[in-house]
Amino acid sequence: MPGLNTSLSIAVQALAAEQGALNVTTNNIANVNTPGYSRQRPVLNEAPTFQESGTTFGGGVTLEQFQSVRDQLLQLRIYEETQQQGNSQTQLNSLNQIEGVFSDPTQGVGGALSTFFTSLSQLSTNPTDANARQQVLTAANNLANSFHQAVTSLGTISSGLDQSVPQTVDQINRLTSQIATLNGQVAQMQGLGQDPGSTQDQRDELIRQLSTLVNISVTQTEHGLTLTTANGVPLVVSSQSFALQAGTNGSTVQDVFSAQGQDITSQIQGGQLAGTLQIRDRVIPQLLASLNDLASQFASSFNAKHTAGFDTAGNVGQNFFTPPPSTTDAAANFGVAITDPTLIAASSDGSAGSNGNIARLIAIRDQQLPSGASPMDMYSNLVLQVGNFGANAKADVNATGLSLQQLTDQRSAVSGVSLDEETTNMIRYQRAYEAGARVVTTVDSMLQTLMNMGVTT
Amino acid sequence: MRVNPDMSADVLAAIWETQSQENTALQQVATGKRVNAPSDDPLAAAQMVGNQDQSKRTDQYLQNIDTLTSQLQTADGALSSVVQALTQAITLGVQGSTGTLSDGNRQQIVQNLKGIQSQLVQLANTSVGGSYLFGGTATTAPPYTLDSTSPSGVTYNGNSGTNTVQPADGLNLQTNLPGSQLFQNSGGDVFGSLQQLLTALQSGTTTDAGTATNQLRSAFDFVTGQRIFYGNGINQLSSTQTYLQQEKLTLTSQENNLVGADLTKAATDLTRAQTAHEAALAAAARILPTSLLDYLK
Repeated sequence: MPGLNTSLSIAVQALAAEQGALNVTTNNIANVNTPGYSRQRPVLNEAPTFQESGTTFGGGVTLEQFQSVRDQLLQLRIYEETQQQGNSQTQLNSLNQIEGVFSDPTQGVGGALSTFFTSLSQLSTNPTDANARQQVLTAANNLANSFHQAVTSLGTISSGLDQSVPQTVDQINRLTSQIATLNGQVAQMQGLGQDPGSTQDQRDELIRQLSTLVNISVTQTEHGLTLTTANGVPLVVSSQSFALQAGTNGSTVQDVFSAQGQDITSQIQGGQLAGTLQIRDRVIPQLLASLNDLASQFASSFNAKHTAGFDTAGNVGQNFFTPPPSTTDAAANFGVAITDPTLIAASSDGSAGSNGNIARLIAIRDQQLPSGASPMDMYSNLVLQVGNFGANAKADVNATGLSLQQLTDQRSAVSGVSLDEETTNMIRYQRAYEAGARVVTTVDSMLQTLMNMGVTT
Repeated sequence: MRVNPDMSADVLAAIWETQSQENTALQQVATGKRVNAPSDDPLAAAQMVGNQDQSKRTDQYLQNIDTLTSQLQTADGALSSVVQALTQAITLGVQGSTGTLSDGNRQQIVQNLKGIQSQLVQLANTSVGGSYLFGGTATTAPPYTLDSTSPSGVTYNGNSGTNTVQPADGLNLQTNLPGSQLFQNSGGDVFGSLQQLLTALQSGTTTDAGTATNQLRSAFDFVTGQRIFYGNGINQLSSTQTYLQQEKLTLTSQENNLVGADLTKAATDLTRAQTAHEAALAAAARILPTSLLDYLK
């Protein structure tokens, strides 16, 4: 038969356990708004039983440890979705800027092209009218300016993105080195059989932040996590991190290199870095190529017709536009070759008053250029491209946003701190503590009773 | 079952979502446009490029039609004056070909005819905005000058070129007749027969004068006939104008269909989005502050 002292010691154990449990609750409440925090719960176990006189008695309670509640699989899904979101959000931001260049159909290259042809149409009614001729030149110069502006705007956006590459790489390196440190600590604690708790929370939160920047693949090993890019270039292996490098290395743009110096620019498929590279290396070059095609084919076709006509002096027409140097720079170098309005070759028979060649020039508007489309159709295809890029990015951002929200909800359902739950627990622990304390006083009074046995007052 | 204890992220997302719907609807109502950036509807934005081009073209065509109509009217007016002058010349020719005419009267008639000749040269040199209407495509210099050494009494400095203008897509309209074809045609030679009459009255017989007068008559008939060219042109321009104005309406309504907002729908959307937004806010206000702590004293 255990004595009162046994009861007293069980009660004191209970007080300690409940107090420890209250600590966990306090910590949970304190971290209710900490990003990435996983709620902890106390692991309470029965203390070893003991036997006396053939009867087994309970040995009270012990607080074994604290345990974080987490779902590692969900965490991995969040990383993946975060990478996609980082990618499409970055693309959308840039595409919104790019769209501005092509959004108003009455302005820009399309509008200028249209105005250029209407100025020719006006000239056809009176080919000797000096004002009308001047207007054609003005419209042509405006067209050249619109081409230049479009190229410059795209170039500005592109170089802005280019500058952000080394910055992003710096951020990635900062994060991977922090992750490596925490990763070592986590592995160490796990090796000692402890729950890594908040250290793991911090590491996971940093991996999530890393996921917004670049695509990573996470592998769990016995020495902690291994982070690699999707193509297996190591970023973090146990407590060691491998820094990526950004550099031009002979090319005109910032490329990304692995710690071993391998160019991995084209292998980056997720996160902001991928979005940046996608716009810089795919979208903008594609749009520029379309602009260049339009500029070069239009200038060449127009020159071909223009040199078949005659100016007001009856001389054979010169090149109207500067002959495009190469298709790669045609839009940037699109220029009007003549400055004297009388040099516009409107005439088809050499007389100043003939407008025969204007009709041939205007006809280019609806003629197929070598690309197989008319100039206006080429431009409207360009607008379609821009629009589709933007619309796709918008849809991606919405889709990944929704699934990320769902995943975060799920994660929160598992690991999030519920104040209601903590309050309930708090009351539970408080009551248990009160009850334990009551046992102590009761035992005390019982001991008192025992002490006073046989004492006469 | 344990649920997500922290609603604030979801509530915020819902508020943002309804707010963004509200903004979209508000923008549509305010601008009257459904497509404000290519990504709103890439296909419509691409088609708008063609629509705007067509619209600018049509505006220019309409402006061209005004210019051309005025050119054709001026030319027709000049021809009308030519016809009047020819009528006068024919009357004088008839007087000159009677045998009972004194030399003085004959001289009088010759003087009058010379006046008519220079008037005709002036008419044949009619210009609009520095561009001569009857010089073929040589429009920068007066096409006719008086030349007593020439059998026709004039020299033609123009050419036989013609200009064609597109008053609308796929339509071609010849806008001028060269002077050589109008005034010196083998079917009726205005200047030639006038000079012939002058020569007959100055040094020929009354029969010669009669022949020359008859030739003036055929020139009269010819020029009168040629006025149909200008009349037709003006008519064609006027019907093209009507067509183009219709086309403009079509383009505007096409634009509306492509990028315009359905205002009724946009207004309804706005109201709906506002209600949703308020509902989200109200829900947030009611749910977020509540916790078990409120009930513990």
